[in-house]
Amino acid sequence: MTLGKGNLKQGAHSRKTRSRIFKILLIQAVICLIFSAGLILVDLETAYSALLGGAIYLLPTLYFADRALRFSAGQSAKRALAEMYMSQIWKMALMTVGFAAVFITIQPLNPFSLFGTFILMQILNWVAQIGLNTRFLKL
Amino acid sequence: MEIANALVFLAAALLMGLAAIGAAVGIGNLGGKFLEGAARQPELVPLLRSQFFIVMGLVDAVPMIGVGLGMYLMFAVA
Repeated sequence: MTLGKGNLKQGAHSRKTRSRIFKILLIQAVICLIFSAGLILVDLETAYSALLGGAIYLLPTLYFADRALRFSAGQSAKRALAEMYMSQIWKMALMTVGFAAVFITIQPLNPFSLFGTFILMQILNWVAQIGLNTRFLKL
Repeated sequence: MEIANALVFLAAALLMGLAAIGAAVGIGNLGGKFLEGAARQPELVPLLRSQFFIVMGLVDAVPMIGVGLGMYLMFAVA
């Protein structure tokens, strides 16, 4: 398949989106680490619970972003949707397994810290996505 | 005690089941609208894909918190 001008433009857009998403994930990881480091002053259990909450969110989301936004020029809508759904299913499965593994294997655990960090990461994602993607608000 | 345990599992099942229904409706609608938009303007597929990605993150956030709480009830509380 030859790459037309339109396909190259589409590829550039995909690359831009992909780099923006990875930048947001990096910011989230840094905030999670700082948050956990700060919580060491409170209690070690609270600190590692926060780190685990962040990891349960960040690792599946990283996989999701990598797979769903993989660059391929001239990708059809059907293929893009299938890839998005498959990566979403895997993301949900990984998060569920992550939660189960943490609750089964790690004791003691501070659930408020774990869920607090998990929710903080979700909120940061919303704020960063909408804040950095100004085009989203125009659609 | 057994009834209390059973109620905890019931609560976890309700949490995860209702979260799954919410996520399924949201993501299903989202996918339908994406295909609709792509059929109208195929050249906008990359743009729609990135918007789809963002809204997918918004839709699946609350159900995943529900699933996490359900897991906590099943594995740590019960």
